[in-house]
Parts: sequence; structure tokens; C-alpha cells
Amino acid sequence: MTDPTPPIVLHDVSKRYETASGSVPAVAEVSLAVQAEEFLTLLGPSGCGKSTVLSMIGGLVRPDAGRVLIGGAPITGPSPDKVALVFQDAGLFPWRTALDNVGFGLELQGVPAARRREIARGLLEPMGLRGFEAKYPRELSGGMRQRVAIARAMALGTPILLMDEPFGALDEQTRLLMGEWLVGVRRSTRKTIVFVTHSLQEAIALSDRIVVITSRPGRVKDVVDVALPYPRDLNSSEVADLRAKLWDQVREESLRAMTGSP
Amino acid sequence: MLLGRAAVLLLALVVWELVAAPLNPLLYIRPSSLPATVLRMWRRPELPPLPQHVWLTVQEIAAAYALAIAAGLWLGFLLGLRRTVGRIYEPLLAALYAIPSVVWYPSLMLFFGLGPASKIAFGFLLGFFPIVLAVLAGIRQVPAQLITVAVSMGAHPATVFRKVMLPAMASTLVGGLRTGLALSVVGVLVGEILGSRSGVGYVINYAYGLMMTHEYAVLVLIVAVAVLAIDGAGALLEARVRRWAG
Repeated sequence: MTDPTPPIVLHDVSKRYETASGSVPAVAEVSLAVQAEEFLTLLGPSGCGKSTVLSMIGGLVRPDAGRVLIGGAPITGPSPDKVALVFQDAGLFPWRTALDNVGFGLELQGVPAARRREIARGLLEPMGLRGFEAKYPRELSGGMRQRVAIARAMALGTPILLMDEPFGALDEQTRLLMGEWLVGVRRSTRKTIVFVTHSLQEAIALSDRIVVITSRPGRVKDVVDVALPYPRDLNSSEVADLRAKLWDQVREESLRAMTGSP
Repeated sequence: MLLGRAAVLLLALVVWELVAAPLNPLLYIRPSSLPATVLRMWRRPELPPLPQHVWLTVQEIAAAYALAIAAGLWLGFLLGLRRTVGRIYEPLLAALYAIPSVVWYPSLMLFFGLGPASKIAFGFLLGFFPIVLAVLAGIRQVPAQLITVAVSMGAHPATVFRKVMLPAMASTLVGGLRTGLALSVVGVLVGEILGSRSGVGYVINYAYGLMMTHEYAVLVLIVAVAVLAIDGAGALLEARVRRWAG
């Protein structure tokens, strides 16, 4: 049996940012292969370049060196037919209703209005947003707004979903509930998901695999498999062991990021 | 709300009437004498024929405002969308705006003569600045996140402009257009009053010059009501856009 081409491959990818005080390395020689229908999490301290990795996969940032392959083909920019992105800030258009926000990507693709609404409605309903289709973002709670943003990304119907700390701006309880909800969504949609977080709890609850990223410049420090069935009991001894192991690694990197030592 | 405002207005008129009653009627015009003045102006016009002067002023305002919109939008987007050009010229623009515009008027009369052209030029000059500055402020207000979202979904620059930038800056833009209109009106009228042989401003100046103070007061009132009506319509439009753009 031959392995199909992994949907996402990063090959020695590096990126520097030009700032007023000189050139700062953000990501250094990151190599990764994300398997089909995998839930992979990039875990690391704030400012470690994990968001930059995600932006490069999304085609929003061009790497200085190395290659990013989507479905085996090198990318030159955003590919809304294969990759959809969700950000920490929901980034909903305030002048559009929830329904029209979800339909935005389809509108860009020239899908007729009636069909757009139908698809958007079909996405909002299982997200518990039935009856909120005609509401404007300012009328929704933070958790609802983020669900609309996720529905907007899913409306593109891409096999790959990139999520950059999508629940980072939510309170702890909402965050846990959204995580549980995402596990369910993932099971029913069979998407390949790359998720960025600095929360150990979130990483362990959701991921098949956790990639620990070092503090700036971001490198792959370790790759940890989480072979536990969903839903995960976050108080089990396996999870406790895993958390302790990850915490050691992340703690080291967080300290380095805090003190600024190399 | 509306009733309250009407009451305040009525009270002001009554106070005015009472204060003016014992004073020189040529200088302290009593509101109650104005209806008779309007009637007299209508029956035995001693002033230059109003309709044709009003029409000229309306045309001058329309021309000045149209030019202000065209140039304001063009320059605003040029400076706002091209960072490097914008960084060079924006401080210059702000400095120019700080200079009281009336100082330019004599040179405009030299360039464009006493006719409508100098009034249009001055109305344009006054209306132009708030529009450019509104475009620049509006562009800065567009959340970068919204642009990123659209780009990640494959939107081209023209689409980002139309579907993200324009709606995101709409209320600021409409606010600037409204201020621009008010200032274009001011520019044209001031231009006419300062030196011309036609237009509403000229008639106002004419009445004032002959000490026809009652007629003068009626003309000023007519202008005030017209300007308030235009600005009221602008305010309604702005409120609508604000509600829509959230």
C-alpha cells in the first residue's frame, strides 16, 4: 500500500521579518508533513512564529527559503479552493448579517445568492446559530461570532482548515465548549486541520499530533502523538503525564522567550 | 424632542421681539415685522430679481461641490492607498488645511475674475479639504483583519476595495462629504458677498449696502433655512449609512 501525498508539506521553511531595528528571524528550517484528516496542533509560546507558519501554509506570507506544498503542488498565494483560514479575531464584516458573512467566500466565487444562503443556513444550523442568521456581528456574543467565522471558512468547502488561536479571545468555559464542539465538527466533516495555540489544555484535548515550536526563531522542538480516544478525559493519568511532558518543553521555551536569551 | 426644539425657537423669537421693540427698528429688526417685509419684497421688488440670482448660486455650489468631490476622492485615494506618496504629502495637506482659507480668496479673484469662476474656485477649495481628509481617515480605519480575511478567500485587490474597504469606511466618507457640502456652500456665499455682481451673496450685500436691513434679514433667513435643509438631508443619509455599516 502506497501512502497518498500528504495534503500539507513544509520543507525547510524559513522566514525573517524586516523591522525598524533590523531583520528578525521568525521561523527557521521548519519541516512538517500533515496527513489527510489529521488534527495537528502547533504549540508554543507567544511570538514564537507559529502563526507565521500557519500564514505561510495559507499563502498569506511567502517563505524566504524552503517550500510549502499543498496537495503536492508548491503554493504561490492563497488557495481558497484547498485551504480556508480562521483567525483569533473573528474578523466578521460588521455591515453583513451572520448569513451574508458566511456567504462571503461563495460570493467571491460567483455562487448565486439563493444557493449561498442555502449553504450558509446549512452551516449555521448545526453550530447552534439557528435563528441568528439575520443578526449583525455586534448583536452576537464572542463565541457566536467565532462560530460564524468558522462557518464562513467552512463554506469554502476546502479539505484543509487552518485555525490560528481561534478560541484565544474567548473565556475559559466558552473555550472548552468550543473545543468539544470542534471535535464533533471535525468528525463529521473529515477535514485536515492545522491548529495554533499556546494552551496545553486545548492542544491535548483536540489534537492527533502536537508539534512543539521553540521560541523565536520558531523551530520544531518535538512532535508528540496523542493516541487517546475522543472525548478526552482531561483528568486521566495519561493526559496528566502528557501535560507534564509538554509543560517541561513549553516552559523552557517560554522562559527563553521571556528572558530573551538565545 | 422636536417639540422641545420648537419651544426653544419660539422662546428665542419672543425674547428677541421684546428686546427689539423699544430699540431702533432699522438696526434691531423685530421678527413680527418680517412677514410684511416678505410681502413687500414679493409685490414691489426693489432688489435685483431673486430667482435668477438664487439659480446662479445653486449652479455655482453644484459646480464647486462636484469638483470638490472629484478631486477630494481622487487625491484621497491616491495618497491613502499609496503609503509612500501619502507619507510625503499628508502633513503638507494638514498644514494647508490649518491656514484660514479666506486668505486665498483675493488671489482667486485675481486668477478667476469677479464672475462665478472665482466663487466656484473658493467653494471648491473649502469643500475639498474635509473630503480628502475623510478619505485618508477612512482608509486608516479599515481593520487590517478584514482585508486579510478577504485576501485569504482569494479576493483580488479591486474586490477587496469594493467589498471590504468602501463599506468599512462608508460612514467616515459620508461624514466628510457632508462637511464638504456645507463648506462649499459657505465658500460660494462668502465669495459672492466679498465681491461680485450676481448671486444670492451679491443680493445680500446689495440690500446691506442700501441699509435695507429688513430685506437683508429676510435673505439671511432664506439662506439659513436652505442650508439647514441641505444639511438635514445629509445628516439623514449619514445616519442611514452608519446604521448599515455598523
